[in-house]
Amino acid sequence: MIISGSILALDRANIDTDQIIPARYLTGITKSGLGQYLFTGLPDGPGLLATKPGARILVTRENFGCGSSREHAAWALVDHGFQAVIAPSFARIFHENAYNNALTPIVLSDELIELALRAKSATIDVEQETLSLDGGAPLSFSLDPLRKQFILGGGFMRYLASKIPTIRAWEIASSQ
Amino acid sequence: MGKSLFEKVWDRHIVEQLPGDNALVFIDRVVAHEITTPQGALEIEHDFGDALYDPQRIVAINDHVSPAKDADTAIQAQVLRVWAKRHGIRLYDIGDNGICHVVVPERGYVEPGMTLCCGDSHTCTLGAFGAFALGIGSSAQGGAMLASCLVLSRPKVMRVHVTGKLGNGATAKDLALTVIASIGFKGGTGYVLEYTGSAISALSMEERMTLCNMAIESGATTGIIAPDETTVAYLRGREQQPSGAEFDARAEAWLALRADEDATYDTSVAINGSAIRPVVSWGTNPGESAPITGTIPSDADPTSLTYMGLEAGQALRSIAVDQAFIGSCTNARLSDLRAAAEVFRGRKVAIPTIVTPGSQAVRRAAEREGLHDVFQDAGALWTHSSCGPCLGMSMGVIAPGTRCVSSSNRNFPGRMGADGRVHLASPAIVAASAILGRLGSPDELEPLPLAQSRGIAA
Repeated sequence: MIISGSILALDRANIDTDQIIPARYLTGITKSGLGQYLFTGLPDGPGLLATKPGARILVTRENFGCGSSREHAAWALVDHGFQAVIAPSFARIFHENAYNNALTPIVLSDELIELALRAKSATIDVEQETLSLDGGAPLSFSLDPLRKQFILGGGFMRYLASKIPTIRAWEIASSQ
Repeated sequence: MGKSLFEKVWDRHIVEQLPGDNALVFIDRVVAHEITTPQGALEIEHDFGDALYDPQRIVAINDHVSPAKDADTAIQAQVLRVWAKRHGIRLYDIGDNGICHVVVPERGYVEPGMTLCCGDSHTCTLGAFGAFALGIGSSAQGGAMLASCLVLSRPKVMRVHVTGKLGNGATAKDLALTVIASIGFKGGTGYVLEYTGSAISALSMEERMTLCNMAIESGATTGIIAPDETTVAYLRGREQQPSGAEFDARAEAWLALRADEDATYDTSVAINGSAIRPVVSWGTNPGESAPITGTIPSDADPTSLTYMGLEAGQALRSIAVDQAFIGSCTNARLSDLRAAAEVFRGRKVAIPTIVTPGSQAVRRAAEREGLHDVFQDAGALWTHSSCGPCLGMSMGVIAPGTRCVSSSNRNFPGRMGADGRVHLASPAIVAASAILGRLGSPDELEPLPLAQSRGIAA
């Protein structure tokens, strides 16, 4: 799986999910159609998005996606066209939500983030765990080996469904 | 090598170790509310034959906007209703509901040693009972409803040891904010916070819930506190708990659940509880707070200050506020309302003030004590239970540029309304600020005539 496209640089730390999508837009029952609300809680967010209308890759700073568990944040990013988010660190729940929605979350060192924030585009090989900034030499990164399969191989729910017989057997054994 | 409390609960729920640092963790109870449940429920209906692993492990609550404020939120509530009925899931709905993190414990759905999850970050509240309780996304919640398991990487454990005893007007909220300021707004990321020490043991269950509620605000997976007699006393007689010998047997098992004497932790922090003073947040994350009698630190983040319209060095008590809110899963239980009423009694608010109980059961209990009269006599609005303006969804959303002092949990930009500003504090500080029209504490208020302070009509 290759993700290739232009980068939107969001040069700010601690972007919480209220800023990614405010609660007033959490009134639906499906995962779709939320891209129009992306970053409407971020001062100048919509203006920033308009500077790179076709961006596929978001580069930002530490602790991205902190706060509320709302998966709407990941859905809004995906619906807007983002396929990967690159940051020095992610908040736990957002990190899991990203994997569960095939929004590849890539952790890079602070040093490499500085380069990525200045780059115009990137090409990401999810399977090989490498990325290239502006056509440069490939840099390696690490994905969670299990959750990577959720991105590449049919999703989290199918994986869990396959485990149900094991879980039922464990539950019976552990209650005895 | 001894185990922490968290490790004991975790180890008992591991179905299978998975690649990487992951494990398949069995979930005893799933809490489902109307904002984040429909998406996973619809996916299970569409792709997995509508088969839930065990509907009896799920409890559903319409809580965020209840009653609905518009057609969209009405649909969310209706989807939860229809789905719960179809699967025989117990639903708490209009008239009998409240914020899920308040309703779940007051009905006795949480027990020491359990694992619980909900598509809501403040599920960590339930760690107060010695349970492993965590917030997750809608997909993970769907997975937990489909297979009663989560895929989790094992968190590390941070011991937060609080010695001494809270005093000098400091509450569990002040402790929670002090812990976050101490370890940092993201300092808990990757950890479970295991709270220990004399100041923790002395807390009531409601205070423990306030403390654990804000574990997520340091980035932590959750918080956890060892069960003790306080825990047992709280759970005895609750709706979902058995009575008599059956309850006693459970209680015995709960009391045996604790960290080993020689437990090791990945990291530890020590806090002197006796030194904690009432605090208020000045910035745009819950780690940015300072004692109410103090000033905004000289090294405060300029971005936060610009958003908040404040300056470094400014006295917190000089900051005028436009609205006050007492409510949310952090501070809207009966003891919180009593603390606020103590301050409001015989006085008048200077700014629009909203008091929203954490559940309808809390509302009724407060009214039996006459607290609703105290709030309304003071000029505050007394509402039904809801998440309300805490997350800027309904019943008191604030206007751009205005400032709200709030007993809730998040002061993020826009949290309570687009471009609005939030100061987090305890219910007593919020009540005092509502009367003063600026940030302030109860000790600044004019003393009342003796008759009034005793609640006797003049």
